[in-house]
Amino acid sequence: MHIPPVFIAILSAALYVFGYYRMPFVYGGFLLQVAYMVLRGTELGRLPLVGPHDTLFFLSTSFMLFAIPASFSLKNRERFLNPAIALTVCFILFSMLAKPHSFPLPPVLKTFWFETHVAFSFFSYALFGLAAVLGALYLIDREADTEHLQYKIILVGYFLFSTAMIFGGIWAYYAWGTYWLWTPKELWTVILWLFYSLYLHARLRQWWLGRPAALLGILGFGIVLFTYLGVSLLMKSSHAF
Amino acid sequence: MSNGLGNRSILLKLFKFFLSLRTAIWLLMALLSLLFYGSVVMPLNPEFQSLNSVALFQWMAVNSFGITWWLWAAIGFISLLTANTLLCSAESILKKKSARQWMLVISPQVAHIGFLFILLAHLLSGYSGFRGTAFVYENSGLRLPNGNDIVLRKIDVDMDRMGYIKDWSADVEYFKEGRSLRSDRIRPNSPSFQEGLGIYIKDVRPMPYPAAMIEVSREPGAVWALIGGLLFMAGMIMLLLFKIKKEEIAQPSALSGQLSGEKALSDAKQAKK
Repeated sequence: MHIPPVFIAILSAALYVFGYYRMPFVYGGFLLQVAYMVLRGTELGRLPLVGPHDTLFFLSTSFMLFAIPASFSLKNRERFLNPAIALTVCFILFSMLAKPHSFPLPPVLKTFWFETHVAFSFFSYALFGLAAVLGALYLIDREADTEHLQYKIILVGYFLFSTAMIFGGIWAYYAWGTYWLWTPKELWTVILWLFYSLYLHARLRQWWLGRPAALLGILGFGIVLFTYLGVSLLMKSSHAF
Repeated sequence: MSNGLGNRSILLKLFKFFLSLRTAIWLLMALLSLLFYGSVVMPLNPEFQSLNSVALFQWMAVNSFGITWWLWAAIGFISLLTANTLLCSAESILKKKSARQWMLVISPQVAHIGFLFILLAHLLSGYSGFRGTAFVYENSGLRLPNGNDIVLRKIDVDMDRMGYIKDWSADVEYFKEGRSLRSDRIRPNSPSFQEGLGIYIKDVRPMPYPAAMIEVSREPGAVWALIGGLLFMAGMIMLLLFKIKKEEIAQPSALSGQLSGEKALSDAKQAKK
């Protein structure tokens, strides 16, 4: 069954927008996104994680995958979910700008290590995005719970990102004979990893708690966006689109 | 006597410097700046195109300092960070050895050890890694760096109806002084290993005569990187399980306390003004 991606994207984005009035629409939008990826994955015979359309759509789905359960730990769920929905809708719309990559994968990408490397990377990107949302919310109302949730989300994101890097290294070793290549993408991946290492260490010091930590969480998502989109589009690397 | 005391005081200061979390933060900031600079200059200088085909230190030795200075500086900061990580981890374990939640204390240190193993892996690969690439025709051979020979017996290419190459593979046979050692099959993501060398099939050309692009690679740090990666993941899983559980019990009030402490501090500063 072939479903036009534009139709699915518009419908899920519309449901999310209605979610500002009634929460069940948010669940509907999320389920529609998952259904689309399952259908597309079945059609392709692999995880739909190649090219800007699939990765942007996967990232937008991942935002809600983590935002919905994370919102339950806050007193005011809507305060967090509203900007998270806006972020999700933005990325759905960005995904519509790119044509879906439906060609067979090169043999080197047909491996468990590649799929888990990419999936974990985008899960961590989504968590870092939500952490930036929480950082912005903390700067507005200074609620300690918000900053604490930002820390927990970054800790989980950091674990997933580190795992993605390790799996990427294993894949690269089997595919190219080395676990490390000197390209701008790899350097930015390390920059991102070091940045969140810096956040986790800095937060152990009293001075960095609160506003500085929240700001670091926001800045981190800027580095995520450049690592994912900026480097892939602007610099020559092994991860180019 | 006073000279001895002076030396001791310098050593103590040095020790305190490396034991500080503030040092770790500054070192991470310095590393971030250097890598940012590196990511900008790499695409602009053609010298960096050969960086992936030789071992790092070999490449750095033949290129000018004007090109490589940020890599040397990064290695310097990583060395300082290594000393900082070792001392902080050791201090943390010794200080908190009688702590009730031993697993929570040890988990970041396990991750730190994993990180150090990964650094060791890069050091070993950067010092004595090897990479070489060649196009080899079917039924022809290649001399390996360890003196053995490898012969490509048969190249298989699997194409779909549209003409896309779906998969490829090659049968290889190893020889030592003309004597056959063993046979193997190489395909994408499935290299063959022989006496520390990895044999990879990167690409194939079915016409006019079957040939394959073969890469021979030696990564002495690969095993250490894998051990380091596993340790890092184990440390992080332990940290997540124990820390989040502990913070769910204790943190909300503790954090509120810290934040109200910050507020009190800023109030005091305001009052002083």
